[in-house]
Amino acid sequence: MHRMHNTGPGRVFDVFNHVFLTAVGLITVIPFLYVIAGSFASDTELATRSFFLIPNDFTTTAYDYIFSTNAVIRSLGVSILVTVLGTIVSMILTLTMAYPLSRSSMVGRNFILNLILFSMLFGGGMIPTYLLVKSLGLLDSIWALILPMAINPFNLIIVKTFFQQLPKELEDASKIDGCTEFQTFWRVMLPLSKPVIATFTLFYAVFYWNDFFQALLYLTDTTKWPIQLLLQQLVMVANSGIGDLQEAQLYEPPEESVKLAVIVIATVPILLFYPFLQKHFAKGVMLGSVKG
Amino acid sequence: MKTKFLRYLLMALLVIGIIAVAGCSSDSDSASNESDGESGGDSGDSEDRMELRVFVPTFETEPPTDDSPVLKAIEDYTNTDITMEWAPNSNLEDKFNITLSSGDLPHIMYVPSKSPSFISAVEDGAFWEVGPYLKDYPNLSQANEIILNNSSINGEIYGVYRSRDLGRNGVIIRKDWLENLGMEEPTTIDEFYNMLKAFKEQDPDGNGQDDTYGIVVSKYEGPWDVMQTWFGVPNKWGEDENGELYPYFMDDNYLEALNFFKKLYDEGLVNEDFAVMDPAKWSEPVINGEAGVQVNVLDEGHRIQEKIIDAEPENADPITVIKAVEGPTGLHNLPTSGYSGMLAVSKTSVKSEEELKRALDFLDKMNDEEMQITAENGFEGTHYEIVDGEYQSKLEDDAALKSEIAGFNQMLMYIPEAKSLSATSSPLRQLEEKLKVENEEIVVANPAESYISEIYSKKGQQLDNIIIDARIKYIVGQIDEAGLEEAVELWKQSGGTDYIEEINQLHQEAQ
Amino acid sequence: MENVHEGRLKNAVNKKKKSKWNQILKEKWLYFMVLPGLAYFIIFKYIPMWGIVIAFQDYSPFLGVFRSDWVGFEHFHYFFTNPDFLRLLRNTFILALYDLVFFFPAPIILSLMLNEIRLSFYKRTLQTLVYVPHFMSWVIIASISYVFLTTSGGVVNELLAKLIGQEINFLSSPDWFRPMIIGQIMWKETGWGTVIFLAALASVDQEQYEAAIVDGAGRFRRLWHVTLPALRSTIVILLILRLGNFLDTGFQQIYLMSNSLNRSVADVFDTYVYFVGITEGAFSYSTAVGLFKSIVGIVLIVGADRLAKKLGQGGLF
Repeated sequence: MHRMHNTGPGRVFDVFNHVFLTAVGLITVIPFLYVIAGSFASDTELATRSFFLIPNDFTTTAYDYIFSTNAVIRSLGVSILVTVLGTIVSMILTLTMAYPLSRSSMVGRNFILNLILFSMLFGGGMIPTYLLVKSLGLLDSIWALILPMAINPFNLIIVKTFFQQLPKELEDASKIDGCTEFQTFWRVMLPLSKPVIATFTLFYAVFYWNDFFQALLYLTDTTKWPIQLLLQQLVMVANSGIGDLQEAQLYEPPEESVKLAVIVIATVPILLFYPFLQKHFAKGVMLGSVKG
Repeated sequence: MKTKFLRYLLMALLVIGIIAVAGCSSDSDSASNESDGESGGDSGDSEDRMELRVFVPTFETEPPTDDSPVLKAIEDYTNTDITMEWAPNSNLEDKFNITLSSGDLPHIMYVPSKSPSFISAVEDGAFWEVGPYLKDYPNLSQANEIILNNSSINGEIYGVYRSRDLGRNGVIIRKDWLENLGMEEPTTIDEFYNMLKAFKEQDPDGNGQDDTYGIVVSKYEGPWDVMQTWFGVPNKWGEDENGELYPYFMDDNYLEALNFFKKLYDEGLVNEDFAVMDPAKWSEPVINGEAGVQVNVLDEGHRIQEKIIDAEPENADPITVIKAVEGPTGLHNLPTSGYSGMLAVSKTSVKSEEELKRALDFLDKMNDEEMQITAENGFEGTHYEIVDGEYQSKLEDDAALKSEIAGFNQMLMYIPEAKSLSATSSPLRQLEEKLKVENEEIVVANPAESYISEIYSKKGQQLDNIIIDARIKYIVGQIDEAGLEEAVELWKQSGGTDYIEEINQLHQEAQ
Repeated sequence: MENVHEGRLKNAVNKKKKSKWNQILKEKWLYFMVLPGLAYFIIFKYIPMWGIVIAFQDYSPFLGVFRSDWVGFEHFHYFFTNPDFLRLLRNTFILALYDLVFFFPAPIILSLMLNEIRLSFYKRTLQTLVYVPHFMSWVIIASISYVFLTTSGGVVNELLAKLIGQEINFLSSPDWFRPMIIGQIMWKETGWGTVIFLAALASVDQEQYEAAIVDGAGRFRRLWHVTLPALRSTIVILLILRLGNFLDTGFQQIYLMSNSLNRSVADVFDTYVYFVGITEGAFSYSTAVGLFKSIVGIVLIVGADRLAKKLGQGGLF
């Protein structure tokens, strides 16, 4: 550790730096704190006080309301299921595909890589993909939320780059021991890849948790709605300017605190998950994305 | 060598892929057969229940599931086996078009509007023309001719309209504020303006603070359309002395109306954020005592009234409603189209004429009094009760109960009339109903309502947006009169000129 | 097992003669492993590509691809002669430029500042905080933005009213649309963007700092001569990548934040394809617009790749 010589301008800078960064930190969290506070406040308080971080009149009405219906709990369940299943599928596909592609000896490797790159730039679009999902019989199935986006090509390429950076000697050694490529991958490479696995598990999990668009396209059965679609329906229901607004007038908009409470519910699980993986991902991203 | 091998590999994978596709789609067929068998077993005695998939919008976060007892009652009454396909209202158009694009439509499909995609689907033979069959059904045969024409495509009917009042628009006013200021209900545009001005400047709520304004408008453009009609602007299309049709914004009175709106905005008589305000919150300023006027459907009046009374019980009669105010050319109001979407029968699922007749039989039965009450009010004793002859809903505080029924009324057409139950008729509600009938005398019809323009079907949205955006920009002062003219020029260049020509041609053919 | 081992030895002897087939057989496991992923790409990415043909048709789902009318380049012709085209191009370009100028440097600056914090607990707490917004969905961020920025009782406007006596209609003003979009991106992604730079900073050789201190270099000279050069290759790579994706604007974000007042600046290629294709049901026309965007995207990314090679960074992938 090198010592800082705290000269005059340096000190001024330090003070400024701390103040600035603290401000950045506050700007980052205050919106959440407000949403959380608002979800525990009464609607009159939300309407009358413009900003607060602690409600005067602490109430759990919004949560009571939400948990008195099945919808939120059920869609939380769907989201959890999709996130867990989807992450597992995505990780298996990504890792097993990335490893062979990291072996420069593999014949046809460049062809497959180009195939992947091309698909990142060029796609059939939403309608043909919808027709495919339909002909696969996946409509109204949670697999429709998973399979069409199962591999993120960016993630795949970063993992591939990571495997390329692992020392070649390890692989050679395991081959000399008579291991097949799969065994090498399973026994030698994966244990070395923990940061990468942690990072991309997080990425995929966040993707599946946050996605509402696939659900909007592929699900008609509302009992399979994930939480994000429910939130979109709740917060944006009459917000879109689409549809029959005179009809919409016949319906009660959800109360402000209920909206905020659903935002909280949709956000919290991912935040709970995140600290466990946080220590790994800096390393993971770094290893993958800076080319050797 | 390399490329050859890869070619084989690729081919093999393609074959695998195609087999997978084929295999899976036949799987799904057998799966749906299975479910047919199951439901057949469920219903037991009625072997030949018609299987119906029904696509309708929902405003709920928790629409009823297919095992709802209310749906069971509907199925039993109509001898059908219904699978609901709910589309969130906020994404209705998207969901509708995606479903269209798949080419596999549910049996009964809610059609929100005669959109280009619906019309081209009709042209491609996706829906049954139901017009000739309606006469065979006790309720459907009593459908209103005007509304049928409004909902038709050049005179042909491709869906049963969902009836709504033609004269539903009106003005909702804080009666208590009028009384505080000693003012009368306005009858002319000038008086209307004076009222708004007074609501802003003369402290109508008497709290000594400058915290009120005149009229609240949301992102929904309806109020501007209604108010410009007061000035004599035609409904979509006007007809000149030679019998030629011209679009409403080319009317001489249009600019006058816009200048009036601009004045409202400049003087702070309308909420500044109207262009982005969430329509779901549109009534809140009136309820909270910030705004004194709303131009909306008349029946919003009693909903606002009830909420004000909830909050301030001592304020017993805070709201009144009027039809419209008189402009330079007399008293006019904008009608609604008289319907809110249609229920269309698709040809992809309903294959034969015989099946069509059964589907129409289902739609017809949904107009029976018993079905209207079941789908909208539920079961007596469970979802509502009659106390002293008065209808009382039990749904309000019971989310679980609400999720058994809320949304089934989307399947109702109310032909020839609404027979479902509604709460007590307060004097305000009676006034609303009376004005709705009176409104039918002063509404301005759109002479081109049933014409389907090819140009409009391609570019309609874009054309409409040019004009609607320009109107808002003019009101808030982003553009001036020259900018307005530029927008009209742009409209003409973007296909508007041809559109006018086409509509006039259709108009002549129809004469 | 034996064979593989033997083959390997043989290979070592006759490298030149090895045939590809032997190589493939020898590494057959690699092909089994790659197969599921490859099947995914073929089924979900390549099979839907047939859909491109509808850009040259007047596609009707009820007639199908085979019976719909062919119209050649009509949709493209219409698009290029339409005033929408220039507007989309301009909006997309300006937004991308703003993103490059304002957002791109932000994580670099933030990570340099974080790097100057010596209190490791404080630094770690800050890092944890600023990473969080990255994990929020756009639905959530748009909802929060509405709550904060609305002129009817939003926090920001109440503050502005007190400070400068005037409210700003951020949500509907075309002038504020781009700053708002960039602001949201900065709020969501700046913290996350520091991950890569902080990692690069952590790998800077401490001896270089010590040497610089011995030479009497002050803090800012150390920053200039030691820290920044260490970040250079990362910055260049990310910059080139960004140029390659220049036309990609966040669909969900813009979709959620646009309305009739700011539409003149809000429409970009991605949202336009969605609005005309799905909301208005013009399947063929929107496919044509999407195809145009894809082709421009390919040109850009290939160009960026060339540039990367020229600058000695190797190809992008």
